[in-house]
Amino acid sequence: MPDETNAAESILLVDDNPTNLQVLFQTLSGQGCKLLIAKNGETALTIAQKAHPDLILLDIMMPGIDGFEVCQRLKSNPATEGIPVIFLSALDDTKDKVKGLQLGAVDYVAKPFQADEVIARVNTHLTIHRLKREVEYQKKQLEHELEVVSDVQRRLLPKAVQSITGLNLAAYYQTSRYAGGDYYDFAELPDNQYGILVADAEGHSAPAAVLMAMTCALFHSYPGAPSQPGKVLRYLNEHLCQFAEPSFITGLYVIFDANRRSLKIARAGHPPPMIYRAADNTAHEVPCKGVFPLGIDSYDDVPETNITLDPGDRLLMYTDGLTERFSPQGELYGEERLLSQLKEADANDPQLILDSIITDLDRFAGGQSADDDQALLVGVVQ
Amino acid sequence: VEITKKDENGVICLTITGRLDAVTATDADAMIKDITKEQDTRLLFDLEPLDYISSAGLRVLLAAAKDLKRNNGKMIICALNEEIKKIFEISGFSSIIPIADTVASGLDQLTT
Repeated sequence: MPDETNAAESILLVDDNPTNLQVLFQTLSGQGCKLLIAKNGETALTIAQKAHPDLILLDIMMPGIDGFEVCQRLKSNPATEGIPVIFLSALDDTKDKVKGLQLGAVDYVAKPFQADEVIARVNTHLTIHRLKREVEYQKKQLEHELEVVSDVQRRLLPKAVQSITGLNLAAYYQTSRYAGGDYYDFAELPDNQYGILVADAEGHSAPAAVLMAMTCALFHSYPGAPSQPGKVLRYLNEHLCQFAEPSFITGLYVIFDANRRSLKIARAGHPPPMIYRAADNTAHEVPCKGVFPLGIDSYDDVPETNITLDPGDRLLMYTDGLTERFSPQGELYGEERLLSQLKEADANDPQLILDSIITDLDRFAGGQSADDDQALLVGVVQ
Repeated sequence: VEITKKDENGVICLTITGRLDAVTATDADAMIKDITKEQDTRLLFDLEPLDYISSAGLRVLLAAAKDLKRNNGKMIICALNEEIKKIFEISGFSSIIPIADTVASGLDQLTT
């Protein structure tokens, strides 16, 4: 029967009684499936492992390994656990039906069976199995595509943390799943000045990653040196307004002036930088006026804030995915805890300070995965 | 999140209870869009029982404000607790979405 041998789907029939096997074989012939047979439990397990059928019709009462045992072994083997099993037995006892289903069978047919019923049930479960495989395949494809997006995105981030005269930096970047909307970047400017940008496209995964990539492209295409933070945010906003809707991007751009040891800050909807003052051993958010996020509407004016820094001061810039991590009890990590971590960190190396913050964050989250992407930059003033 | 709707003298009042975050934003957005697609709608959000809002939640309110503007409507958010108010201020949304201290003053602003 060529249509049976060439068919994509195969069914394994298991029964110790040759007559029953014959009846089953005849019932299912002409259904467009390849039929395999096994006369006992051991053979059934071997064939299942080798041929990986799409469905198994399994008799319960067999000498040696019985049907329940076969089912149990199939389900505990990762290679065969996905194959649907229909029990087929003379037993018509509720207890046995329940036991069979508890062992992971998808259905149960009592003997003596009606040919039409067996055919209908077999077709139903073959269809379910086929759809399940298709969904799994699509999911894998989608995950693969997201991984590719994620790879591209990682390449948009700076390959290494910018080496800045007078400010030692460390960076952390983590997406909630694959690709994400967080972004940070640096610009080396004339006269010992450096630009540091942190941005967060609302949402996560692919749509946020596209906005993140756009923000990156715009930042790198800024005409001239991006040395005035207010102007830079205005420039990004002007362009992002054309395609960000209904989403938006928060941005924080600061210029560190190594000669003056000062910081000029502009902020669009983004959390302000945090600062630890070594002189009086305190940590606080830098009070700085800002504008609403990028990509919503044009700005009249973007205010800038100037502060001076001293050796030993610590600067922290972050995205809200960090402060909006939840504990298993549903509490938010929050700004206060981040500030106290910045203050308490017993180190002067930015990487060690950053590591201690991330350790504390992971401890707080207690294994709860992050809902949002997270970026963190820590700088220590020299 | 739970959203309840009532009518006060031609103003649609939506009370949002619980958390408006990435998980709940999609459903909230669909429900609010049904209201904001109409012409000349006056919409008041009572956020007094709102515990938490993430950037996804802010996007929902922003979209509502933009839709209403297009459709000749008006919107106000009222009775924000201290934490939520801080989020609106830090994020700059307080400068693009009208905010009232109480529901009563919000109703006043929409009806006069």
